[in-house]
Amino acid sequence: MASETAAARPARRVGWGQRLSRWDIKVSPYLYISPFFILFAIFGAFPLLFNVVVAMHEWHRRAGMGEFVGLDNFVWVLRQPLFWRSLENTFSIFLWGGVPQLVLSLLIAAVLDQNLRARTFWRMSVLIPFVVMPVATAMIFGQVFGQFGLLVPNLQDLGLLTHTDSPFFQDRLLSHIAIGSMVTFRWTGYNALILLAAMQAVPRELYEAATVDGASRVRQFFSVTIPSIRATLIFVVLTMTIGGLQVFDEARMYDGGGTGGGRGGADNQWTTVVLYLYDLGFGDWQDRLGQAAAVGWIFAFVIGIFSVINFLITRSISSSSTAPVRVSRARRKATIARLRDAAAEPGAMPDDAHDDAHDDAHDGVPGSDGAADLDLTKGAKR
Amino acid sequence: MRINRQFGAAAATCAVAALTLTACGNGGGGGGGESAGEASEDNKPAELSVAAWMDFPQELLDEFEEEHGIEIVVNSFADGASAQTVLRNGLSADGAGLSDVHLVELDWWTEMMAVPEDWVELPEVPDRWVDWKVSQGSVDGMITGYGTDIGPLGIAFNQDMTTQAGLATDPESFGELIGGEDATWQSFLDAGREYVAVNDNYFIDSLTNAFQAAINLLPAAFEDPESGRPYDLAENTEVKDLFLMFAQAAEDDISAGIAIGHNDWGAGFQNRQWATVVTPAWMTGIIADNADGIEGWRIASTFPEGGGNWGGSFFAVPATGENTEWAVRLADHLTSADAAVAWFNTTGQFPSQLEAMSSPEIAEAENEFYGGQTVGQIYGDLAAAAGDSAAGGFRGENFAGIQTLVTDGIRLVESGSATPEQAWESVVADFDALGFETAN
Repeated sequence: MASETAAARPARRVGWGQRLSRWDIKVSPYLYISPFFILFAIFGAFPLLFNVVVAMHEWHRRAGMGEFVGLDNFVWVLRQPLFWRSLENTFSIFLWGGVPQLVLSLLIAAVLDQNLRARTFWRMSVLIPFVVMPVATAMIFGQVFGQFGLLVPNLQDLGLLTHTDSPFFQDRLLSHIAIGSMVTFRWTGYNALILLAAMQAVPRELYEAATVDGASRVRQFFSVTIPSIRATLIFVVLTMTIGGLQVFDEARMYDGGGTGGGRGGADNQWTTVVLYLYDLGFGDWQDRLGQAAAVGWIFAFVIGIFSVINFLITRSISSSSTAPVRVSRARRKATIARLRDAAAEPGAMPDDAHDDAHDDAHDGVPGSDGAADLDLTKGAKR
Repeated sequence: MRINRQFGAAAATCAVAALTLTACGNGGGGGGGESAGEASEDNKPAELSVAAWMDFPQELLDEFEEEHGIEIVVNSFADGASAQTVLRNGLSADGAGLSDVHLVELDWWTEMMAVPEDWVELPEVPDRWVDWKVSQGSVDGMITGYGTDIGPLGIAFNQDMTTQAGLATDPESFGELIGGEDATWQSFLDAGREYVAVNDNYFIDSLTNAFQAAINLLPAAFEDPESGRPYDLAENTEVKDLFLMFAQAAEDDISAGIAIGHNDWGAGFQNRQWATVVTPAWMTGIIADNADGIEGWRIASTFPEGGGNWGGSFFAVPATGENTEWAVRLADHLTSADAAVAWFNTTGQFPSQLEAMSSPEIAEAENEFYGGQTVGQIYGDLAAAAGDSAAGGFRGENFAGIQTLVTDGIRLVESGSATPEQAWESVVADFDALGFETAN
């Protein structure tokens, strides 16, 4: 009966409900993920592209779009000594904030990776500085580096400073170090947790093997940990580069500098590029949105180049130290086998194959016996 | 191929959705722009908003609410700069996010009034304010702001510190020290040199305020009143001479180089780092807070070059508001003489209203922190002595910016990183790099 009816119908008609469900399968996934793309289009892509238009025009806050000026805004920016000065400042602050940050977060992560008591407490507590508002951080550190703050009077007592004012607000290099310290304070814990997550994924056998081989903790850190977390390290360095070059809050709030925040010191000692951009476009008097947009593009370009350089450096550093790991990996197999035998021996099941494997491993002839090991475990599991 | 088509469809869906959303966003921005008519029962709103950054005397708001049955919402900002940013963005965005009435500070008044059509013309109120306050609050002869406070300049000094230095024991002798009746900036700075010669601490917190006050008294400091264009700074001898005079004093270390707003400013008072501060009326309260517990601060009634004015605000009504008629009435209410007295009692702001200025409530109020001095009386006298010149000279669009540039030069010398001549050269170079079309 059923087959007869089917044959009587020349073409199969698709019901509405079925069509809907087919659309459901085809279209719904796109709708489900669309909020991100819609939001990205409005708040990400559109401003980004529109910025090109702004950068090519004379543009003021109230009057809006003016004449088309082509690349004039870019030329204008590149001719500003203050732009180059702010670029120098930014890189200097990045170095003073980035290098200690990386070293410290690696150290902290390594410590947290050990078997600590109250582990979660320590892990959470390193994240606390990150939760503090950057503006609050800047204001607190501004007090610390102030003339009557924690640091300066003590340095004076030690005879390291003679002038009564605070050099941290006057000397260019010292102001960079001070701002760098705020960046370090804020981001170290955050990076440490990311690195810690990577370290946790490093197989423990590697450390066991290294311990058996007599490598010290320090040696293990450099020869096992660092090469193993290479990918994460590159990620951290890249995000740190991008974030570190965008320093704004810290520099703006550093000296208080008047009710609305400072412009980076009387001599623009610590004016960063983003602070300069803000001042051009949205600051108290310049009202040059077109030029500010141009700064944004130039700076995006600079960050891009710098990130690539950083990526290459990071990659070469950690890949050069992967060589010893390979050696230790070969040794590892031997060690694992040895350890397993040692563990199995009290079980008192001496058979020939077992002894053979043991001897082979000792003779340093891996290969067939590795496969045999694998078979053995499989058999055990079954 | 199939995948591509599907992807294309999805992308199109996204684009359409994005466009719809954007269109919706635009829809809300319309309206406004009509001129203010009469306030009547018909167009009475349920509430009015006012944006400002200081405390409001509660009785002032209650009065208006009781009389008209309109609730007043105060949008309070932490400081003038935040209020400025919100106003600036709101004006650029066709009034989005603006309140019905806005407080506008003199320092950024020119910027906000660059497009007069953004603001409602306010009806004239005869004999309420000192003349120059009215002309400051007008654009092209049209009143756009009702004056609130003014900032007559005085000098706060610590008489314990000057006594210790053997130079001045009370406000009168301090006035003599800085040059008496005929005090000039030169005599003021020389008094500073005398002070630091016998002391470990500094004469003044920072020379930038004093320098700004001096600049403000020039009839046209940085810009040509005719064309509005900046003068070529390198050729501007008037400013250069003033600059070098103050920079010289900065090089002689008479100032600590820490101005109001700097992180170290409050601590400087507590550590008795300086003996004087150039103090507009509104700053007296701020000093009292920061120097809490430090004895001996007094206000001198002598000011170099006769006096001056720093700051002071206006209430103005953005034209895009929906209730401009009633907003005008609120602005009027908030700038009455009674309001000015109430404000003086709440925050210590010195009024620009004639009636309030002569009110005994202001003139006879004794200030505990300043040793029982009648601060209102002193500033009233200082304002009178300054006269119309207190309104300051011509301020074009770039006045505030160039002023910052030049005062930064003074800070450079104060921090010991440049000689006066080097600082001036650096200021001129910074100015030239901006590439203004200059007036001469």
